[in-house]
Amino acid sequence: MANRLVEKYLRPSQIPTKACHGCGIGMIENWILQAIDELGWSREDVVFITGIGCVGRQTYATWGGDNVGATHGRALAVATGLKVAQPDKKYVVVVGDGDAAAIGTSHLIHAARRNLGVTVICEDNMGYESTGGQFSPTTPAGYVMNSSPYGMVEPSFDPCDIVKAAGATFVAEYTAVQWLQTKKAIKKALQNDGFSFVHVRFQCNENFGAYALGTRDTVANIQWIEDHTRGVDRDGRPTEFTWETGIKHDASNSRPEFSRLLRDLNTRVAAGNGRGGHG
Amino acid sequence: MTRFRHLVYSGCTVPLFEPAKAKKQLPPSDKWSVTVEKNFCKACRFCIDVCPVDVFRWSTEVNTIGWFPIEVAHEANCVGCMLCYQVCPDFVINVEPKKTKAPREGAA
Amino acid sequence: MIAPSVASVRLVAPWAEWNTRFTDGRRVLETGTFALTEGAIAAGCRFFAGYPITPATEIAEHMSKRLPQVGGYYVQAEDELAGVHMCAGASLAGLKAMSASSGPGYTLMHDAYGWAVANEVPLVIVDAMRVGPVSGITGAPGQGEFYIARYCSHGGNIESLVLSPDSVQETYWLTIDALNLAERFRTVVTILTDQVISDMQEDLFLPRSADDLAEIVVPRRHNTEMPFYPQGSDAIDVAPNVVGQGTGVCVSAYTHTPEGYDIEEMEAHWDQSIRLINKIRRHREELLRYEAVGLDDADVIVVAYGATARTAKTAVLRARRAGVRAGFLRLITLWPFPDELFTRDVPYVVCELNYDGQLVREVQRAAPARDRVHFMGKSAELHTVEEVLRALDGVVKGQGIPAMPYIWTEVR
Repeated sequence: MANRLVEKYLRPSQIPTKACHGCGIGMIENWILQAIDELGWSREDVVFITGIGCVGRQTYATWGGDNVGATHGRALAVATGLKVAQPDKKYVVVVGDGDAAAIGTSHLIHAARRNLGVTVICEDNMGYESTGGQFSPTTPAGYVMNSSPYGMVEPSFDPCDIVKAAGATFVAEYTAVQWLQTKKAIKKALQNDGFSFVHVRFQCNENFGAYALGTRDTVANIQWIEDHTRGVDRDGRPTEFTWETGIKHDASNSRPEFSRLLRDLNTRVAAGNGRGGHG
Repeated sequence: MTRFRHLVYSGCTVPLFEPAKAKKQLPPSDKWSVTVEKNFCKACRFCIDVCPVDVFRWSTEVNTIGWFPIEVAHEANCVGCMLCYQVCPDFVINVEPKKTKAPREGAA
Repeated sequence: MIAPSVASVRLVAPWAEWNTRFTDGRRVLETGTFALTEGAIAAGCRFFAGYPITPATEIAEHMSKRLPQVGGYYVQAEDELAGVHMCAGASLAGLKAMSASSGPGYTLMHDAYGWAVANEVPLVIVDAMRVGPVSGITGAPGQGEFYIARYCSHGGNIESLVLSPDSVQETYWLTIDALNLAERFRTVVTILTDQVISDMQEDLFLPRSADDLAEIVVPRRHNTEMPFYPQGSDAIDVAPNVVGQGTGVCVSAYTHTPEGYDIEEMEAHWDQSIRLINKIRRHREELLRYEAVGLDDADVIVVAYGATARTAKTAVLRARRAGVRAGFLRLITLWPFPDELFTRDVPYVVCELNYDGQLVREVQRAAPARDRVHFMGKSAELHTVEEVLRALDGVVKGQGIPAMPYIWTEVR
């Protein structure tokens, strides 16, 4: 018998997923399902919205309830329409670093600005792995990828900083060796009636591992994740950079959620106090 | 924070018949039920690597998706640390207390 | 006024009857954008997400004012692509939705347009065309998206529904019709209007209340069971899917199964293509809308749509009074292109607001004799009645369209 959450929450025809062996996408999905399970929600309560790329594609349709796979970068735009039209469902938006931090950053910013009540799980493998391993805005600077054969010259950024600046009410960052913290953060994120962003960096063996780290060995690649989470490698040497993990911003339930704002407007208009300006 | 036992591999990513390194030997407690769905397993070897008490081994029969999966070798050794359950990327493993007490369902 | 000598006048469209059926209401002097907004709301539209752009900006403004009054939602999207995706999401969650733009914004919508068409999500998108290329002249009309509206997504394997009004009153009725067709065909219906029809003010009749229209508005229903996508079937009037009611539906732009998850098999791809193409092609008769004057006995037929058709029609009627047997064909349904209206082997004069020639190519394809189809292109300004009369005169005499300033006659 498999993980018991499979029967409870997943679509049997889509498991095992299309992810490569040793990929972190399935690990993170397991933690998302545990968070949902511990909150007591059912399949009918939650809609999964995904993007394009490994994270989107490997997650899409695995959820046993409703799934929406948007075009590249536009998951949050579709989520906006869904949430405004139907606010009482829970929307889990599972997107990669390309979808959230490159092509879709505009929509990410505006969804955060509006405090749209969705939970974004940005699973970050630090490159465009689905197309073979090109660099992305979250690839560590200087790393060699398929489209940076001399080393990436562009600076990279952390999407957590951006959503926090735009107005997100819950922001957390963890990595694929932090299962307990990630699960707890996802639970908190799901309970925020506002824009939640959980950023989880994870290992890719086939592309990032092969081209940037020089190995497809699954344990070596997740070890690299652990080293840069702790800030030291197995031999005690400090790593060249360390990711700062933790809950970066928690203003859960402190600002009105977007669909609530629109409904309140309608109530005011119906009562005759909505009008302003000309007309 | 989870810890990964670092084992040096020379780049081979399909460790057929890799003998498990010496792990902590505890007397078997037989309190935990460990089951696997072999046809989901993609042989990433995280569970074998992270388990402190030798529950798993490699199977010698290829599964329906083309890998030699893991299988449960010593279920009675399991101490319920849940690391394998948390680290598996493919929903292969289920770990639950054996039904001598009421199973916990969705504890917060 | 139509001269008594004209042989036949007909308007083939649902509002030919609606105009006479609904008489209890009020008359206002209003713009095309106002009529569009009111028509959408009357047909049950309760979500609009768009971005301001001349000449469609007033649609967004009207919607922002009217939707909260009827319990709907206006979202000002960060760009047009986001706007259409938001509309698609809202439609999936159960609200009739619309977006509106002009050329520069319309062209950004294509990814979302294709997503909605491939997933059979009912939507209406309005393109109030202006002159191009690109930003062009902000306040001038154009008809440069004739082909884009048909091929409004990459990858092929779809058919498109495109309608075009020519007056403020017709805009009101046509918008209701567009929303109805979107529901019945589970697709995106494009309304190609233009800057002239959008901004002009004309007499507009509005029914007393939207409830009066209940008999002509197709209500939103929901499909809650398999198959979510009846691949291989050309059926219409299939209820749209809904997300958020736990039906287990999967919605994505990959080639998909009847359940909606992605699959990479030829059989699934073939069945999906049959569905998306044939559900429109096999119901062409439901979609044919046009206006014609003197078509059956004309010696030369002027073809146009939208604002261009207004001066063209006046020219045809004047020519008739002068004894020339001219005919007038105004297309309301642009796509699927009505080949069946071009069976007569006579010269055609195609008037459109572009210089590269778009509608004229379809007429050349559909008409019996390609070299009897004459292109009369003008851009940024409407054709004058005098210009069309001179063109008719030249064609009737067998000399073709005479050279006139800012009139383009070459098609290559």
